[in-house]
Amino acid sequence: MNDTRRMLAEMADPLFAELGPGATMERDWPRIEELGLPQLLVSEADGGFGGSWEDALVVFRLAGFHALALPLPEAIIASRAEEGSDTHFLLGAFARSAQIAGALDAALGIAVAYVNERQQFGRPLGKFQAVQQSLASFACEAAAANCAAMGAAQALDRGEARFEVAAAKLRANRAVGIGTNVAHQVHGAIGFTREYGLHELTRRLWQWRSDFGGDAHWSKVLGEAVIARGADAFWPDLTARTDPEQRD
Amino acid sequence: MQTFATEAIEWPDTAVQLREQVRALVAEHGEGDPVRRANCWTKADPAFSRKLGEAGLLGMTWPKDYGGHERDQLERYVVIEELLAAGAPVGAHWIADRQSGPLLLRLGNEELKRRWVPAIARGEAFACIGLSEPGSGSDLASVRTSARRDADEWVINGQKVWTTGAHVSHFMIALIRSEAGSERQAGLSQFVIPMDAPGVSVKPIIDLTGAHEFNEVFFEDVRLPASALLGEEGQGWRQATAELSLERSGPERYLSSMVLFLKLVRHAEAHPDPAVRDLVGRLAAEAWTLRLMSASVAAKLARGEDPALEATIVKDLGNSYEQAIPELVQAAVEMDLAGEEALARVTAYLLQVSPSFSLRGGTREILKGIIARGLGLR
Repeated sequence: MNDTRRMLAEMADPLFAELGPGATMERDWPRIEELGLPQLLVSEADGGFGGSWEDALVVFRLAGFHALALPLPEAIIASRAEEGSDTHFLLGAFARSAQIAGALDAALGIAVAYVNERQQFGRPLGKFQAVQQSLASFACEAAAANCAAMGAAQALDRGEARFEVAAAKLRANRAVGIGTNVAHQVHGAIGFTREYGLHELTRRLWQWRSDFGGDAHWSKVLGEAVIARGADAFWPDLTARTDPEQRD
Repeated sequence: MQTFATEAIEWPDTAVQLREQVRALVAEHGEGDPVRRANCWTKADPAFSRKLGEAGLLGMTWPKDYGGHERDQLERYVVIEELLAAGAPVGAHWIADRQSGPLLLRLGNEELKRRWVPAIARGEAFACIGLSEPGSGSDLASVRTSARRDADEWVINGQKVWTTGAHVSHFMIALIRSEAGSERQAGLSQFVIPMDAPGVSVKPIIDLTGAHEFNEVFFEDVRLPASALLGEEGQGWRQATAELSLERSGPERYLSSMVLFLKLVRHAEAHPDPAVRDLVGRLAAEAWTLRLMSASVAAKLARGEDPALEATIVKDLGNSYEQAIPELVQAAVEMDLAGEEALARVTAYLLQVSPSFSLRGGTREILKGIIARGLGLR
């Protein structure tokens, strides 16, 4: 992470943690505006922060991690695309991928802490192999969602990113299924209560899976694109997306 | 909690040129049969390995003094992902180029390095790894094959099993108990054993497809010079496990069924079907993600870090992916599995070999245990 992004994270993390799922527009939005976060992607010439999509990834991910109940990702995207446009839909999908990645990491952290604490049969739940293996699967899914979101951010910074955002949202969507399932399963009944905060993450994850394209939408888009290009183009296309331009 | 730190990967400037070189070479000398292109890193073709050696594509990162080419780790990554995606028959040299060469360069004495490393880089010396034994699979610390000192020599007795490629290999790097009466991880050492040493015998194990890829290897009073000890006596466990990130996160952990995915795309081009289209989309998204994850670990390794947890995650996810493909393809497309059509033949083959994907190089259960420990459980 470069210095700009570290600074962004150090600024956003404590504020989002404080505001979290209980935030309200009336009371808390001015604090978000004070930091200039809605103008993250607006150029410095126009009074913004002049940030990149990798910078936005940091903010979106932390918003997801802390289940921030403010429409900050929406505001950031609105500075780049008109609502209802294809580009807006694509950028929304990217934002949700990043929020999902953050919320999965948060839910995983809560689940791990819980099973190390909760005792049954005379030992912590985390000592049972069945519980360990479930959480390991969850960790793999969270890792995949995070890597996919990063890949999409890099592609957006390079330019055309339809394939990458579609792939990242689809991958993140699929991670939601396993992640929320395991997070609740290892918590037992307590995770199902309003009082315990797990639902602040999991209910958002379920919502975000459908926002800006669910699994069916993005698998159709990706499948059509890959088939239209043909089998012989798949691998060359995939590598060309990341290879540096050839310098003759 | 962030279990997989992500950051931009700097792909080498030479990537495009290297890909063109590999694609041309595979087009000329690669494997034509789609079944042989599946799971291709177990398919040994010594002539193809020598071609790669001649082209400077083996031992790419090693010192020139030992026959290497002093390229960077990501340049090597580009080459191996191209070979695997194309289904090239890389099985003969795979282990030597990936593990044995680097291990010899890191820990070997001059005699061992001179004898083996340049020959690996030429594609002329192939290696196998002696880990599993009849009583020692996932529980690797229970190995019983012994090395006993006799004056200036070591005398090896015992047996290894499931040794991939022992029958085409020129040497084995084996984990052996060198201290009589020692237990578990203590008292183990690594030895470099020429496969033509008197007292070494190899017996094939035929797999369920009828193929001969792995073997039993027997050692009967095999006498080795003192120089056959690799690294430090008694440090075999640490040495053998230190290499695992290298072994676990490579593109071979998710690309074994790529040829079948491509056959599925080819099928969908001619036979439009929403279910197949959606499956293609989903599998493409997964391939794209896994490639980033695997390359991200390679970039960390290149910087000298040891991303052991990330590497384990890549292997577990990658194996599950390449293992799921044949089953998903079978469920999505009506086919005659015993028929002659390429899609069916590759599906039938991969259905049979894919159970091994989550066994080789550490079982799914062992990997998940390692990930759990990385999460702070246990």
